Amino acid sequence: MTEIELSAVTVEFPARTALRDVSVRLHERRIAVIGSNGSGKSTFARTLNGLVTPTTGEVRVHGIDPVRQSRQLRRRVGFVFSNPDTQIIMPTVAEDAAFSLRGRGLSRAEVRERVAAALDRIGLSEYADSPAHTLSGGQKQLLALCAVLIGEPSLVVADEPTAYLDAANSRRIARFLLDEMPQQLVLATHDLGLAARCDIALRFEDGQLVDQGDPAPVIARYEHDQDQE
Amino acid sequence: MISLYRPGDSVLHRLPAGPKLLVVMALALAISLAPANPWSLAGTTLAVAGGYLLAGLGAVEVGRQAWRLRWLVLVMVLCQVFFLPGLTVAANVVRVIVVILLANLVTLTTRTEDLVDAIERALSPLRRLGVNPSRVALMLSMTITTIPVIAGFAAQIREAQRARGVPLAPLAFVVPLLIMTLKHSDDLADALTARGID
Repeated sequence: MTEIELSAVTVEFPARTALRDVSVRLHERRIAVIGSNGSGKSTFARTLNGLVTPTTGEVRVHGIDPVRQSRQLRRRVGFVFSNPDTQIIMPTVAEDAAFSLRGRGLSRAEVRERVAAALDRIGLSEYADSPAHTLSGGQKQLLALCAVLIGEPSLVVADEPTAYLDAANSRRIARFLLDEMPQQLVLATHDLGLAARCDIALRFEDGQLVDQGDPAPVIARYEHDQDQE
Repeated sequence: MISLYRPGDSVLHRLPAGPKLLVVMALALAISLAPANPWSLAGTTLAVAGGYLLAGLGAVEVGRQAWRLRWLVLVMVLCQVFFLPGLTVAANVVRVIVVILLANLVTLTTRTEDLVDAIERALSPLRRLGVNPSRVALMLSMTITTIPVIAGFAAQIREAQRARGVPLAPLAFVVPLLIMTLKHSDDLADALTARGID
């Protein structure tokens, strides 16, 4: 698996420092990112596809600089947000999936073929012509995933992808992300059950990377510290 | 949802979006300029209703689309009835209804994607003047997508107000709606960036 590398990355927002001097090299397939609200999980995830620019330090994702080579990076890195409603850009399910293929020089027939295959893979074929906003929360998140995967990225970054979903849809999305999808995954989550199924866990607190390693002991220490507070 | 497309295989579904738009524009112009003759108005109405049947949408759909215009009809009638002869008022109302039904027939039988592509092609000569047709097309698509989202925000705010027993207060409605809409536009900008549109 190719590498994600952060060297002394600090991200400062006007009111707070979101990441402080974070350095890490990752090559595992499933990477969990845990921590309290405001700990820096989402900022870390967003630096990986250039949605957030580091104030200082360097980021390399599969050899690409997310800031200087943003166009190249976004073909390699897909991003799934927590709220599925904010990810839908086009009116219907098929059109939204097809939107990710814009500017790739594909013919309309090729786009339709790839959209049909992608919707079939994720179980949304019957909704292809439906207005995307009439889907359930779980179906919208599946559509968001479909829109990411249709571009064939090598890394998928998911920021709390199950936060808005019920238990059944959470399990469906988790199964897809963790078990069925072959791509490398960075999963920022509060769901420690999901984090436990990853290959490595990173724990952030107050913008700092405070713990990393096998998920089970990292989660145990996190839960212990939370209980102490 | 503003995207009204109903999948089908009728002649109207198979017609390309560009010519369909041109025909509708020409018909809308003809209907607007036609004399206020009851026979020609009845003929036009029947022709448009026939279009719905040809598209396999059924007579019920014509009725449903016309019923949605009831408030518009009421406003139009009230604005004209005291100043214009009855036949002119009826002709004006029928013209507007028929043109809207005709436009709806296009959206019911054409994918949004095809409509937007047709508009993008039509705008391509403006590239020389610095207009980017792809950007205009994307903006149109996003407008269509965002209308139900903002309607959803409005419904959420009203529900939250009702749950707290707050009577309808314009300011307490507009301010959160604006904030939610601006937050949504920020999130949408992130989603566009994440999908490679800068």
